[in-house]
Amino acid sequence: MRRAHALLIAASLLAACATPQKTREVEVKEDRGVEEQWRRNRPQPGEPVPLRVPKFSRTELPNGLTVIVSERHDLPIVAVRVALRTGSAADPEGKAGLARLTYQLLLEGAGKLDAAALDQAFADLGTSASADATHDGGFVAVDVMTERLDAAMELLADIVLHPRFDPASFQHRKEQTLSTLAYQVGNPSFLGMEAMAATLYGESHPYGRTVSGTPETVSSLTLEDARAFWKRAAVPSQAAVVFAGDITMDRAVELATRYFGQWKGQAVAQPEPPTPAVEPRRRIVVVPKPGLQQTLILVGRPALRAGDPDEYPLELANAVFGGLFGSRLNMNLREAKGYTYGARSSVDARRGVGPLIAYSQVRADVTGPALVEVFAELQGLRERPITEEELEGAREGRIRSMPGWFETVGALASAGSRLFWLDLPLDHYDQVLRGLETATPAQVRQVVEAYLDPELMQVVLVGDPEIIRAQVEPLGLGELVFRQPPAIASIP
Amino acid sequence: MPWLAVAVLSMLTLPAAALAADPPNEESEKAVLSIPFEKYTLDNGLEVILSVDRKLPVVAVNVWYHVGAFHEQPGRTGFAHLFEHMMFQGSKNVEDDVHISLLQQIGATDVNGTTNFDRTNYFQTVPAHHLETALWLESDRMGFLLDALTPEKLDNQREVVKNERRQRTDAAPYGLASEKAWQALFPLPHPYYGSVIGSMEDLDAATMEDVFQFFEKWYAPSNATLAIVGDIDVEETKKLVERYFGSLPSRPKPESPRVEDVALNEEVVIRMEEPVATLPLVLMYWHSPRIFTEGDATADIVASALGTGKASRLYQRLIYEKKLAQSVSAYQYSLGAQSAFGIEVVARPGKSTDEIVAEVDAVLAELRENGVTDEEIRRARNRFETRRLLGLQRVGGFGGKADMLQSYNHFLGDPGKLAWDLQRYELVTTEETREFARTILAPDRRVVLHAIPPASRAGGAE
Repeated sequence: MRRAHALLIAASLLAACATPQKTREVEVKEDRGVEEQWRRNRPQPGEPVPLRVPKFSRTELPNGLTVIVSERHDLPIVAVRVALRTGSAADPEGKAGLARLTYQLLLEGAGKLDAAALDQAFADLGTSASADATHDGGFVAVDVMTERLDAAMELLADIVLHPRFDPASFQHRKEQTLSTLAYQVGNPSFLGMEAMAATLYGESHPYGRTVSGTPETVSSLTLEDARAFWKRAAVPSQAAVVFAGDITMDRAVELATRYFGQWKGQAVAQPEPPTPAVEPRRRIVVVPKPGLQQTLILVGRPALRAGDPDEYPLELANAVFGGLFGSRLNMNLREAKGYTYGARSSVDARRGVGPLIAYSQVRADVTGPALVEVFAELQGLRERPITEEELEGAREGRIRSMPGWFETVGALASAGSRLFWLDLPLDHYDQVLRGLETATPAQVRQVVEAYLDPELMQVVLVGDPEIIRAQVEPLGLGELVFRQPPAIASIP
Repeated sequence: MPWLAVAVLSMLTLPAAALAADPPNEESEKAVLSIPFEKYTLDNGLEVILSVDRKLPVVAVNVWYHVGAFHEQPGRTGFAHLFEHMMFQGSKNVEDDVHISLLQQIGATDVNGTTNFDRTNYFQTVPAHHLETALWLESDRMGFLLDALTPEKLDNQREVVKNERRQRTDAAPYGLASEKAWQALFPLPHPYYGSVIGSMEDLDAATMEDVFQFFEKWYAPSNATLAIVGDIDVEETKKLVERYFGSLPSRPKPESPRVEDVALNEEVVIRMEEPVATLPLVLMYWHSPRIFTEGDATADIVASALGTGKASRLYQRLIYEKKLAQSVSAYQYSLGAQSAFGIEVVARPGKSTDEIVAEVDAVLAELRENGVTDEEIRRARNRFETRRLLGLQRVGGFGGKADMLQSYNHFLGDPGKLAWDLQRYELVTTEETREFARTILAPDRRVVLHAIPPASRAGGAE
């Protein structure tokens, strides 16, 4: 029926074709189109191309500064990152947000240049700089054309070695940060991640708060806090200059020496974030957002450190569970049920034990059923164990996609920064490859047991509190505990 | 489609601009800022663009159908995008629901489809030895989508798209505000009214018959362009393209509707309660010159001087000096029928949007008086140039080489317009920016929207 309909329209359109010659040709081809049996089968791949994984080389300057280089010369551009090993995990208790504010303060003025002059100086070089913190480190970043690299390095050195940290720019940056937080507390994703961090780690754990902090903690920050943080963070032995793109190691060392060779400072040992307890779920944390048309569901637990032997088996298990569009979670919640625009899960391996979190924004009126399905998919990993086909698909996909993830020098430089922050070896990506290639079905089964146990999954919901109460309380997944969104701080 | 489908009001759609180099190195950089390609047309009308890039062993396969929200029927807003979702649901020889999984299992990256006002695109970057798989998938849905269509699939994707609308519009900060302002700029019956995502009512109204007709009319091979960019052998690739696409039935190239330009003769002011966000927002829209026409490059330069970086005029005045704003942005949203110039300012907690409008107006008044300085023009050009060079790193994905070739081909009929595009920015003068501010950014021909959260959500103001 459907087919007939389609052809009918095609035929009537064909009749309107301009030249008879063409029409005849087309009709012949259409017959072939119908009979083209060879289309039934997916084509065989060609001879596999050799994989190309990112390569890094490293050296150290006499002052302890690390230099990391990944070369790629097809375009005249270089990505530079000054990466420091001190991130938001080093925020003192009650001062969450200090690392982010301090890194962002770097761009408010350095040496002779105030914020606007600094921005103009980078614009003269055709670029912009950015600076920010992550949990395990911080960075200043710039992508620039090769011929302007020298000038960009001079600016970066000013920013890192001579930041102004004066009262006016601190006050300005603090007010801007508080305004940004006021904006973020209106955003369901921010509210959910903030509640999830506290739920998984407890608020006094370095990973128990977000990199942003809260309006309350940021309100308490002083210029002295930022200066003290920076004094601890900005030492050459805890820093790397990472270059990726159109550059050689010789040139990188020359530039790093010229601009950062005089950098001095005593390193303070960075404590490793403590291993969090993983406990059975008793409660469901609800962040009320009355009237919201969707509910944000977050389901997660602390998982593992970067470099843990379970990392690659877990990556494969997660790819089957929720890591990809074609994963079980998304195919169920989106494609089968139509509850959501998407559902995913991800593992964030950090210097300390990072989290595994599954998430989806679902229509408010199916909050209960959607949560049931998330748990059914977790349970399903036991009842319908990962098949060989699923595992091999995940393995091949993850391995073969590796070159595609590193098309840009920016991606290479960020990967180099992460190697430094997490103290990973230079051949890390070869190890990733081996880890993915050699993970056995037994290891994957074992990590499913160890990391994807439904009983150990904590739950955070952001949405309309009445809908959530009505739909989730009867499920018996845990006692509902309401966590109010952070209040917006007033800005003087 | 899947994850990042609608590019409403996003500058990703078309790389806003770029530019040639400072005088000393003009020669060398211009050589770099070009994309070699070959273009030809199959007998059935399908255009093909091939471009070799052997940096990595990957290939981008990217199809543009020259149809977008602009071509929707009245009462069917959102349909072009809903249709895009149907293209991932299987076709005659590709099973339901396997399209994306299959690509992900062979190591593809940048797998997506997007719909905007003017066109719909589908793309994937695959390991080079899997090129044929990507061609098989794209050709099957181009030729035989309707064979596998069912009402169940349509119903499911209708729900998915409605969820997408909730996520992007109804339950997103300022989602409804942006939609309202846009609709005031392009009132019905202008086909841009529906903001690509469309209304819940119109999505509900879409039928199987709509899907059949839309496919037959707009998804003809003669209304599509296939770009293949990456580590390919050109002759081998031509043979594969002929095999997979050459026998697809030809249908005439559809004619795009003609739509008269719309204009505002007065300032339209909208005040609304913001249902999701915590901070007040001011949104301003003007009609502006079409993409790649005179004034479009000037608009990019003006937008950069107003809102890019801490030294920009709006940032300086509203954030540093007056301490009124949390963020500012200015952009030229370049489109095929008529473009929009936008300014967005998010207020600091407790600050008045009227005060913000007054300050923006002061900045614009100064711009109308004196235009953008030579120095600002030069800095904007420098940034555009680097941005475009960075865009050349990726063979596919949003704004990569395949999209660049496609965009020039779609709007200008020639994929090789990169140098011409860059040249436009060299010609922009202070006088032109002044003229642009006077005639295009006129105070009495704009939409101004104030989105104000209720006091209970906005926190204590001081």
